[in-house]
Amino acid sequence: MTFAMFLKSTIIIGLLESAPLMLAAVGFTLIFRLNGFINIGYAENATLGAYLAVTLNAIIGWNFYISIIPAALFSGVLSVLTYLIVFRPAMKRGVGPTEMIILSVGVSFFLRYGISLIWGSRLYNFDIAKTHYFTFYGMGITSTQLICLGFALIIAFGLYAFIYKTKMGETMRALADNEELAMIAGINPIKVSVVVWFLSGLAGGLAGIFTGVFTWVNTGLGWHMILVILLVAIIGRVGDVRGALIAGAGVGIITTAVTLVTQPAYGVVALLVIFIAILKFRKVRA
Amino acid sequence: MGQILSGYYIYMLSILVVYIALATILHAQFGLTGIANFGLSAIWGFGMYACALLIVKLNIPFVPAVILATILTGVISMGISRIILDLDSQSVLVGTLAFLAIIETLVISEKWLTNGVMGLGPVNYPFDIGTYTKFVYFLIILIFTIVLLFYARKLESSPPGRLFLSIQDNEPLSQSLGKSTFRRKLVFFAFTSALAGFFGAMAAPIYKYLFPKYMGPAITFTLWIALILGARKRIFGGLVGVVATIGLFDVVLETVVPIPSKYAGILYNTKYFLYGLTLILVLMFRPSGILGEKARSINTANTGKIQKMEG
Repeated sequence: MTFAMFLKSTIIIGLLESAPLMLAAVGFTLIFRLNGFINIGYAENATLGAYLAVTLNAIIGWNFYISIIPAALFSGVLSVLTYLIVFRPAMKRGVGPTEMIILSVGVSFFLRYGISLIWGSRLYNFDIAKTHYFTFYGMGITSTQLICLGFALIIAFGLYAFIYKTKMGETMRALADNEELAMIAGINPIKVSVVVWFLSGLAGGLAGIFTGVFTWVNTGLGWHMILVILLVAIIGRVGDVRGALIAGAGVGIITTAVTLVTQPAYGVVALLVIFIAILKFRKVRA
Repeated sequence: MGQILSGYYIYMLSILVVYIALATILHAQFGLTGIANFGLSAIWGFGMYACALLIVKLNIPFVPAVILATILTGVISMGISRIILDLDSQSVLVGTLAFLAIIETLVISEKWLTNGVMGLGPVNYPFDIGTYTKFVYFLIILIFTIVLLFYARKLESSPPGRLFLSIQDNEPLSQSLGKSTFRRKLVFFAFTSALAGFFGAMAAPIYKYLFPKYMGPAITFTLWIALILGARKRIFGGLVGVVATIGLFDVVLETVVPIPSKYAGILYNTKYFLYGLTLILVLMFRPSGILGEKARSINTANTGKIQKMEG
C-alpha cells in the first residue's frame, strides 16, 4: 500500500466510522455543559435506541429509515426520565461530582441489564434491503454508510446550530453558566433541562443505531462506546460542542490509521494512551 | 464434609474473601484518601496474570512468583499514580478507567503471552494435601484478609491516616501546613495497589485458569457497588457490602438454592440489574451506606474538651 493510498483510506474510513461517534459526543457533551457531570448512563441511550430500532426493523419488519424515528424519540424520552427521576433529585441533594459519576454507573447497570432481561443476550442484526455499493476514490462504500454519515453530520451540526444560534440554545448556555442568574432572568430551568436531556438522548439513540447498523446490536453496544465518547468529549474539551465534533473526526481517523497498520486492539490502546497524555498535559477538568 | 471442603462451595467462599480484601483496599483508597480508582480490577488482574505468567511460562515456584508479582504491580501502580494522581478527582476516575481498558484490551489481544480469551493456566495450588488443599488455602487467604482489615483499622487512627482524611477535606490547607500531600498519596496508592496485586497473585490458583473477564470493568463496578452499599468511610464497609452483594447472589443463591441452568442467564442479568438499582437507591437515600458514617473520635474528644473549658 502506498502512502497516498494509506492516507486516503485512513481519512475516508476514519470519517465514516467517526460519524456516529461525533453524534454521540455532541449529545454527551451537551449534558456536561448543562449539569457539569459525566453521565456514564448515556451509554444506555445508545443501546436502547439500537434495540428499539432493530426490533421495529428486523422483527416487526418496518423500513430501516422509518424505524429510526420512534426509536430515537423514545431514547430521548428515556434520557429525560433518568434526569427527572434520578439525576435532578440527586443534584438537589448535593451529591458531589465523583459520586454523580458512580450514580450514573448505577443507572447504566440498571438500564443495561434491564434491557438484557427484556431482549435476552442474543445478537440482533438490522435488515436493510437494497444496498448499493460504489467506489469513491478507490474505496468501496455502501449507500447505507453514506446515508448514515449524512444523517449523523446533519444532526450533529444541527445540534451545534441549536446551541449557538437559537434563543433556546442561548437560554441553555445561560443556565449552564449561572443557574441563579438565569432564573432571575426568567428562565425556567426544568423546561430548558428537559429539552437538553431530550436532545442529548436523541443524539445518543441515533448514534447507537448507526453503530448497530455496521456491526450488530447487543447489550454491550453503548458500554463499548462510552469510553471512546468520554475520550472524544474530553479531548475536545468537555462541554464544547465544536471541540466534540473536531475531536470525534480526529479520533476516528487516528483509530483507523493504527488499525490499518496493525490490528484493531492497538487502535484502542493508542487512543487511550493519547487520552491519558492529554488529561495529564492539559490538566483539563474532565 | 470432604466434598464440601474441596468443591464449588469453598471456591466461592475463597473468591468472596478475595473480593472483601479488594473492597477494603478500595475503602483505603477512596474512603480514606479520596482516590477514585476505577482501575482496581486491572491492578488486581495485573498481579494475577503476572503471577500466572511467572509460574506457567518461566516455571518459577509459587512463593517467589507471588512476591515478584506483588512488586511488579507496585512498580506499575507507582507509574500510574505519577501520571494520574495529581489531576482532579473526575480525571483520576476517567484516567484509571482508561488504564483498565488498556490492560484488558492487551490481555485479550496479546495471545502469544496471555492466551487471550482461551485462558491462561494451569496455576496449581502451591501444596497438595489431598481433600483439604482448597480448604487450607482458603484459610491462608482468610488470614491475609483479616490482617488487611487490621491494617486498615490501624491506618485510620495513625498520623498518615489522619493526614489522608485532612487531604480529602481540604488539600490546599494540608499543603499549607507543610505536608507533602502529593508524595504521600503517591506512595500510599502504590502500596495499596501492590496489596491488590498480592491478592490477585494469591487468587490465581483458586481460578486455576485465568480469563480476561476476571479483571474486566464489571469486577471494578461490582466492588464499587459493594463499598458504596456497605459504607465507603468505614473499615468494615467493604466486608458488609461484598457479603450483601456477591455473598447473597453468588454464594447463597447459586450454591444453596438450586437454580435450573435454563435460568442462569436471567439470574445473571437480574443480579446486575439489582446491583444498579441498589447503587442508585443507596447514593440517593443513604449516601453513607449501610453502616453509616462514624463520628471521628478525635473531633468528638476535642469538642468535649472545648465544652468543658467553656463550662
